[in-house]
Amino acid sequence: MPPTPTKIKLAAGNNTLAIHWSDGHESAYPYRYLRGKCPCATCDEAAPVPEQAVGGLPILGQKPLHPERAELVGRYALQIYWSDGHASGIYAFPYLRALCPCPECTAMREVAEPRG
Amino acid sequence: MSSRVSPQDVLNALRAVKDPDLGRDIVTLGFIKELEVGDSRVSFALQLTTPACPVRDQLVAQARAAVAALGVAKVDVRLAAPAPAHAQSRTLIPQVKYSIAVASGKGGVGKSTVAANLAVALHRAGATVGLMDTDVYGPSVPILMGGSDAPYVVEGKIEPPVAYGIKIISMAYFLPKDEAVIWRGPMLHKTIQQFLGDVRWGELDYLIMDLPPGTGDIQLSLSQSIPLTGAVIVSTPQDLALSVASKAIAMFQKLNVPILGIVENMSYYLCPKCGNREDIFGHGGAREAAKKLNFAFLGEIPLDLSIREQSDAGKPVALDDSTIYGKAFQEVAGTLAAQVMIRNFDKAEDISIE
Repeated sequence: MPPTPTKIKLAAGNNTLAIHWSDGHESAYPYRYLRGKCPCATCDEAAPVPEQAVGGLPILGQKPLHPERAELVGRYALQIYWSDGHASGIYAFPYLRALCPCPECTAMREVAEPRG
Repeated sequence: MSSRVSPQDVLNALRAVKDPDLGRDIVTLGFIKELEVGDSRVSFALQLTTPACPVRDQLVAQARAAVAALGVAKVDVRLAAPAPAHAQSRTLIPQVKYSIAVASGKGGVGKSTVAANLAVALHRAGATVGLMDTDVYGPSVPILMGGSDAPYVVEGKIEPPVAYGIKIISMAYFLPKDEAVIWRGPMLHKTIQQFLGDVRWGELDYLIMDLPPGTGDIQLSLSQSIPLTGAVIVSTPQDLALSVASKAIAMFQKLNVPILGIVENMSYYLCPKCGNREDIFGHGGAREAAKKLNFAFLGEIPLDLSIREQSDAGKPVALDDSTIYGKAFQEVAGTLAAQVMIRNFDKAEDISIE
């Protein structure tokens, strides 16, 4: 069985979301990074996440990007409700694990797809 | 023996009783509750994880015998209601302990008949059961269950009709007869969500869901809306049926839904006149596939005229466990209940989000 999350901490400090996995691995995802990797159909990987609302008007008193809440989708994914209003991303567990930015996981990805 | 036995003596004696499916003794498993030791009397409750546990009576008898062997004059063993599982507690169906989807690769394998009879068999084994007919296109459950009652709405919730002790919901109740459902995804998703969240199911041990054949919107909707306890795959013995069923299996695996087991339906035909047995669709193909794929094999259901006749008449064969067919469903239900118990016992069900 592939590893699944056992514990998810939305505010793990340093603007990161932390996941404790069933195989003991720990992941910490910076919010902006995770938001930028939203897998929903309307998100475009190439376009960066806007710092403020589309239209350019500054929103006063807005807290920086963070996940307001998250819900399990069936047994296989996490749906994150971001503070910028975006909530259509369903992050499947294997996808989340593949996104883990820790040095160990990054090194394994480099081996799999070495950058030139 | 005039000296009292101590609670510890009782527990030590009970350690000799092992659950055959979980492989551990009932004290370690935490099944013994409310232990009371009197002068010549010991009483306790046996709290199993499912009321339809097939070895329930055996465990009660063994527990009673183990304590009686200590010389206790009166041993009272009662069955306690199973502790609620927590997996569903934050979902649309918080009062349902176990949600089980009955699926098949292709149509025509008798999935709805198996689902309905499985529900009846589980109920007869002592569980509270609901039956959700999610086959929006060809809802056949109400016919199988002889239902003539209609659901009604009370304070915004749908009160499901009850047949043979089982609460039922089906698209058939909401459509005029012979009207077709020609819907796209979002409507189907909404229907599933309503069947889950807007129906007053009450406390259920099992919610059996009859899925449409194949792998489509409804399967996905269900797998996204709740953390399904698991899926039962129905197949005929033919290889062809299985290779299509393997698509359904692959889908559930991708969605992290455990495959609780495989049922071989239309396994063989028994002539009612001469008793001759014909393996019309071959035989044993599903059992072999289950072995190869490392899934539990839940049992064989024979092909029989009376199953079809009873189904059309709205009397599920599982109601009568003196027949071969009734017994077959009883065995499948028991094996399924054991599988649910094994799967759910050790797991840290809750993924905590904070």
